[in-house]
Amino acid sequence: MSYKTGILAIFKREWIRISSSKICIWGIFVAPLLSMIILMWMMSAGLPSRIPIAVVDLDNTTTTRSLIRQLDAFEKTNIQYKSLSFKEARHQMERMEVYAVLTIPKDFTKDAISGNRPKLVYYTNNAFLISGSLLFQDLKTISTLASASVGLKTATAKGYTENQIMPILQPITIDAHPTGNPWLNYSVYLNNVLLPGILQLIILMFTVSAFGSEIKAGNGPKLMSMGDNSIIKVMIGKLLPYTIIYMGIALLFVAVLYYINRFPLHNGFWPMFFNYACLILAAQGAGVILLGIFRNYRFALSIASLIGMVSFSITGFSFSTLAMDGSLSALSNLFPLRHFFLIYVDQALNGIAVGYSMYHYAALLGFVLLSIFFFGTVRKLLKDNVYEL
Amino acid sequence: MKRLLLDIYYVWINELKVIFKDPAVILLFFIVPLAYPVLYSFIYNNETVHEVKVIFVDDSNSSLSREFKRKVDATADVKVIGYASDMEEAREALRRKEAYGIMYIPRDFSKDIHTQQQTKVSVYADMSSLLFYKAMILSATEVSLDMGADIRVVETGSGSQEEDATTRQTVENEWVPMYNPQNGFASFLVPAILILIIQQTMFLGIATIVGTHNDKKRFTIASHTAQGKNVGAIKLTIGKAFCYASLYMLISVWVLRVIPYIFKFPQIGDPLTIAVFLMPFLLSATFFTMTLSYFCSQREFGMMLFVFTSVIFIFISGISWPWTEIPTAIKAIAYIVPSTPGIHGFIKINTMGATLNDVWFEYIALWIQAGIYCITATIMYKWWIQNYDPEYKGMIRKRVE
Repeated sequence: MSYKTGILAIFKREWIRISSSKICIWGIFVAPLLSMIILMWMMSAGLPSRIPIAVVDLDNTTTTRSLIRQLDAFEKTNIQYKSLSFKEARHQMERMEVYAVLTIPKDFTKDAISGNRPKLVYYTNNAFLISGSLLFQDLKTISTLASASVGLKTATAKGYTENQIMPILQPITIDAHPTGNPWLNYSVYLNNVLLPGILQLIILMFTVSAFGSEIKAGNGPKLMSMGDNSIIKVMIGKLLPYTIIYMGIALLFVAVLYYINRFPLHNGFWPMFFNYACLILAAQGAGVILLGIFRNYRFALSIASLIGMVSFSITGFSFSTLAMDGSLSALSNLFPLRHFFLIYVDQALNGIAVGYSMYHYAALLGFVLLSIFFFGTVRKLLKDNVYEL
Repeated sequence: MKRLLLDIYYVWINELKVIFKDPAVILLFFIVPLAYPVLYSFIYNNETVHEVKVIFVDDSNSSLSREFKRKVDATADVKVIGYASDMEEAREALRRKEAYGIMYIPRDFSKDIHTQQQTKVSVYADMSSLLFYKAMILSATEVSLDMGADIRVVETGSGSQEEDATTRQTVENEWVPMYNPQNGFASFLVPAILILIIQQTMFLGIATIVGTHNDKKRFTIASHTAQGKNVGAIKLTIGKAFCYASLYMLISVWVLRVIPYIFKFPQIGDPLTIAVFLMPFLLSATFFTMTLSYFCSQREFGMMLFVFTSVIFIFISGISWPWTEIPTAIKAIAYIVPSTPGIHGFIKINTMGATLNDVWFEYIALWIQAGIYCITATIMYKWWIQNYDPEYKGMIRKRVE
């Protein structure tokens, strides 16, 4: 034979294959970098601030004007328009110029003082759920404050002292402790899972294609003989270069997320680094499993991208799996990203003992073990080397 | 003129044959758009999280604190799983995922209220999902305002029912969540996903066709020159685009009309307006994906080239992160992609009941995109045939043997 054999030979050959393939450079290097830049840049504010709203003030007194000023001072709310009628404001909402409308009725001040209980009505555009919810909080607070400030006047009139008033207006207060992400930062909440999710998607597809493209090019038997007919050698030689590249990307993500942007990382570097390492290996394992099950390059690739995309939803980082149908919540365990997410929550966000995450680390490594059962199928695929459309 | 229409028609019909001969394209054009929306709707179908498990630490152990717990338990969003003897035990329950939040009632809870001092209930929320946090805070706040009002009436009430009601609340307020009354996740996210599915599956299908032409070097079929015809790049591009767009007209009925109907998503738009709006969207999506499809050098490469963009496209469309908050440069990038005005327009019409007048900006933007991408698709076709088939340029080869 004119070529060298062994793991090292396959390893070197794979490096050359990757670096000379436009699709690999685009898919493995450009895609995650591009996604990281766009997503991090887009959410760099952390929490959306100054979301535009419209106010319809039919009363227009000093009381209502001061109420509007207070609302505008809230960080999330930006009073973009003072509209003359609700119809006009609603139209602005339909054009996505504002995401909420607050209406103050005529004679609001007069009614409030005379005890006629006027009503503040606020409309949020929940077709955009996040903007709607954020504005809801501000509008709810300002309405409660409005009630309090009028109540304050009535109470002082009744002879209560300043110190007595707040307990009377609001006897019980709620003190919120959002553990781990005290700023309710959306970038923390989304990018911590979106970026590894994109990495997983890429790994699944490129693991399938690492072998699929060999079969397509008719290189299967040659590859097997390069690995001295040992599928283990072929697997390691072929997949290790990718593992190294993915680890580099993971380190970049860790650096950008936890060190440059200072996202919560309560248990330090190692548990999360190990989490990324396990995710990468698990996704590579899952790629091998998919190829072993479907045996057709194109079809396995389609399923890989399906699983990669569904992962973003079924992982439950935005819409919790507990709210999903029971079958889906069980199914989510078959997605590596799900385990990655649960480890991330405990190790980076909550900072609890590593022992609580052991099951999920084990589950991720389980994908690697499971993939070994499919080595035989992949070996046969390479030997037979039948390329199906 | 007649020649032009006949050529377009000829390309159209022959491209249909290419599509229906390839199981991979059938999968991407028909099966995926059929199944994917169902899957996503199923995932998000429960719309919102109910009965988030909360554990109580009650150091007050008074009738008032028990009333607080009972009222929290009665809300739809929170379920109290029981008491923990101290904070450490409660934290352990959180670690074991037996509960997702702790509500702590201080020792002086009841005493403070009776001596007219402000008291404080602490809510510790697991932040693995913002939905949990929201459910707990809203339920606790609701109960605290409600109990607070009762306490106020007892303390300052003067007897008459009317005055007590005023004491409870001097200014009333009402929240009207518009267009998505149950605050659902599916109703807000899935419509955007539906539009994106149309654009992305279209790309994958067309890219597979182009990649297969490359693999098999069947440029004469790609250029529809089989019977000695020479239809020209522009007619070829338009003919193919009409073929894909017309197929997607049918698919859209399922994706954009039947799916929202089955899963009861908000659907207050006029179907005719949606259909009119869909015309430029489908055309611009077709020409856009055709332009990019020529980069697909092998049958299987479409996935690896393009699938990851779905994540980016959905986020830069401004569906979750407010559009007004997106940096201008990213907004500009977003408007290069047909799915952005497509999503904006579809949500305005379908979910918010807008008329064509209200979405005029998106409508025109899509027509402009369609025009531009029609030109780029033609240019890309020329580049492609020049690059891959330089000798024959898509013409029939003479039998050399």
